Amino acid sequence: MPDDVLKVHRLSKEFISGRDRVQVIAGLSFTLQAAQSLAVVGRSGSGKSTLLNLLCGLEDADGGLISVAGRDTVGRWTALRKQTIGVVFQEANLMPAMTLLENVQLRASLAGRASGEEMHWLEQLGVAAEAHRFPDQVSGGQRQRAALAMVFAMRPALILADEPTGSLDRQTADDVADRLFEVQRNSGCGLVLATHDQALASRCEHCLDLSESA
Amino acid sequence: MLAKAMISHYRRHPLQLIALALMIVVATMLWTGVSVLTGQARDSLAVSEEAVAARKAVVRNDGQPVSVTDFVALRRAGICVAPWLETARGDAAQKVIGIDPLAMACFDAPPTGSDSAGLDGDPFVDISEVAGQSSRPGQLSLLVSPGEGPLPSEYQRREFRLGPATGELADSFLLNLDALSLLVLFITGLLVRSVYHLGLAQRRSSFVLLERFGVEKARIRRLLTAELTLLTLICVLPGVLLGQALANRLGQGFGQALESLFDLPLYAGESSPVPWQAALVMVVLVLGACLVDRFLPQRPARQGSSSGLSRLPVWAWSATVGVGLMMVFLASSLIWVFAGSALVFAGVGGLMPGLLARCADAVARRQRQTPSSSLNRWRYRELAVMFRNLALPVVALQFAMATVLAVQALVTTFEATFDQWLAQRLSAELYVQVPDGADAQAGERALAQLDGLGDWHRVRSGKAQLLAGDGAAEPLTMDLMALSPITPLVTDWTLLASVDDPWAALASGGVMVNEQLARRQGIQSGQSLRVKMGESALTMPVVAVYADYGRPAAEVLVHGDSLPSGFRPSFQSFSINPGALAVDDIARRLRAEWQVADLVIRDNASIQALASQVFQQTFLLTRAISVLTLVLASLSLLVMGWVFFSTRSWYFQLLGIWGVQPGEIRNQLRRLALLLTSGVTLVALPLGVWLTWVLVSRINPLAFGWSLPMAVYPGFWLELGLVMAAIGLVIAWLIGRQLAGQESLRPAANLEAGGER
Repeated sequence: MPDDVLKVHRLSKEFISGRDRVQVIAGLSFTLQAAQSLAVVGRSGSGKSTLLNLLCGLEDADGGLISVAGRDTVGRWTALRKQTIGVVFQEANLMPAMTLLENVQLRASLAGRASGEEMHWLEQLGVAAEAHRFPDQVSGGQRQRAALAMVFAMRPALILADEPTGSLDRQTADDVADRLFEVQRNSGCGLVLATHDQALASRCEHCLDLSESA
Repeated sequence: MLAKAMISHYRRHPLQLIALALMIVVATMLWTGVSVLTGQARDSLAVSEEAVAARKAVVRNDGQPVSVTDFVALRRAGICVAPWLETARGDAAQKVIGIDPLAMACFDAPPTGSDSAGLDGDPFVDISEVAGQSSRPGQLSLLVSPGEGPLPSEYQRREFRLGPATGELADSFLLNLDALSLLVLFITGLLVRSVYHLGLAQRRSSFVLLERFGVEKARIRRLLTAELTLLTLICVLPGVLLGQALANRLGQGFGQALESLFDLPLYAGESSPVPWQAALVMVVLVLGACLVDRFLPQRPARQGSSSGLSRLPVWAWSATVGVGLMMVFLASSLIWVFAGSALVFAGVGGLMPGLLARCADAVARRQRQTPSSSLNRWRYRELAVMFRNLALPVVALQFAMATVLAVQALVTTFEATFDQWLAQRLSAELYVQVPDGADAQAGERALAQLDGLGDWHRVRSGKAQLLAGDGAAEPLTMDLMALSPITPLVTDWTLLASVDDPWAALASGGVMVNEQLARRQGIQSGQSLRVKMGESALTMPVVAVYADYGRPAAEVLVHGDSLPSGFRPSFQSFSINPGALAVDDIARRLRAEWQVADLVIRDNASIQALASQVFQQTFLLTRAISVLTLVLASLSLLVMGWVFFSTRSWYFQLLGIWGVQPGEIRNQLRRLALLLTSGVTLVALPLGVWLTWVLVSRINPLAFGWSLPMAVYPGFWLELGLVMAAIGLVIAWLIGRQLAGQESLRPAANLEAGGER
């Protein structure tokens, strides 16, 4: 795995709101190395989610360059999301008609990393007992752990997590965060975490405050 | 303001409101159209029965048809009689009746039984007009005033009918239509309910919010009821008007159906008022189907089950199907067959969505863990969700498809069977009518002397009676047809049952009976009947049962030599194949023999074409109702599928986020939609085949007196499958467009609890 899992150079993005142009991200540059974590913080509307969407190609940047795992991203976003970038949202990360295990298997298969070790990841995240339950049969915390298991099962170089504990109570959030950081460090992947939770942000090695950068 | 908040959902999702409105309009149109037509038929039957009850005709005791001489004799004797001349109009199959207003002056009431049916239009016109315009002599009857005293000794009174007695058969015909209408009503109820409840499920969170704001639950319910009532009232009006237009469009074919089946002209409904009764039924149906849950005991909500069809366990639905099947198989009356069929439909409707979902889940479990099969597994899991959540439109579409399949099979089988039967009946090229007063025996001799003439036979028609004690509780009047000689023109007829060498047995004094008579009286070949022809009663062995489609009338066929000498046929004709001779030569020879200037000669091929046309019209209504129901159900599945897929669009987006190519997502979408529609098609097939069997083997014999062979048409299955595939592809295309146009990647708020499954 290359040392630099994410390089962002002079990234910019603006939105049109009515007659106004709103510059959400202007000339942003940073680098993230393997096994490192970066917290993206800022007030609501500062562009946290937009940045994460730009970093996985779900939105197009107006300017700048992004490289992931040493590779240029232009025209390669779909392939990168499939095998290299794992994305976790605040909720609804699972297919509701499939069990937790089937969800992990699906994600690993799509990444071409199906190894029969999907159960292992559920164990790592502490939801092995719920492996054969459907998402609506488990708690929000268990769903989020399963979502993380899905991401780890695809063995990504980079994980983008958008408020992954935002909908959980403090204790569950801490528990999910513990698992996230533990497994992330062990696997050696990079982590970009958008959050407005200062405690969670403080657990990352780096912090990017978009309120300041704006 | 509260009302505004309540309907704000539809501002964001106008499609759901449009879908619901469209369902109500189309359902009202269909129901109104069917109601108007069956109402007209029922009125016509009532008019006919009323007329029959009021009318008596004078007949001669010697069996000869009455003539103008009889009219004069009776009038001179002071009896109030009026002539009634009935004939066909031009080359059409329409009946026209000539009456004499002057002679009817002595009647207390118009003999037609209907004040509206005067001399100012069809079918009653002045007798001189009928006599002048018709190319063939009509059948003259003499009606006698109900209050008239004893008749001269050589005459007697008879009940006077326009056609054969239809009795329960006409009621059965209407019962068939009523049953089809009820099926349509049931299907539309399911569809309207499914669209309404889909919207309601998505609005539930906003109702909870309103409750939290202090709005009472009862008030929310009242507002919802008012909203639905208003929408229904608005949509029912155009539906009723469209239904009337539909009835007018189908009315002609329906009228021909009635006339060809029962000799019953469609008098009523030409200027029928707006059918408010049908509109009221639809309002009640919509409100009932959508609001019935409020009156049922509440049960704990289970996520993922919005079918509304699974209140009973599987064994109960299976038992319902079993009981229904037994009832249909064993029933001896039409009403029980319908009741059994209803049970089968209800049971299948209760079982099928769950069964389909389980099948999809089972296939999902069998997928191996490779990238492509993982997606397959996901697709089948999604399919299971769809079968559960789209249960109502899926069942409605299944019923509609089964109905269309069955009606199509019935009509196609009937057309094929009828064409074959008609070709056998009209195998001679020419049909020559023996003029009134002409010596048919002399004509027979003349034909026998013509060298080079092909096969021919003489036909004598009249009435006979099946005497009590031979399968009949009381004497039964039947149509009689006598043929001679027996030639290959008839020996190729398809017989439903027969003794050995039936045509030779007929020539030896046997009798053949039509299927209607055999079924009604339980007559079998080999048994003996006592048949009265003219004044003679003969005991004749039944040598065969022959198919006789269309008319409900009982008919017997004998050899000409079996007729007693005193029998006077009411009608005679010759069926002739010219062979080496020209038609003109044959006509010239017969004209010379009978000393007449002109002859009625008909080309049987054109008669066959006309008859086929009439019978095609007969099934026009049934076919139209079933196809319109299918259109309604397809439209519903399309709309529901679209709306439901929209609620799942996040999961398609999630696949994109996971790196699945847009083309592959569209492919999955197409395959999912195709699996949905083809799954419904597959389960509709056995139900359709079973319904076909019920129609041809159970309902048709009970309703019309004749059965049809059971046949299936895989070609039509394929056509229907292609239509369903097209609907699936349209759903996939619509969702694909929606996905491509979606800007936000945020999941919908109602997916927070793990999503619907």
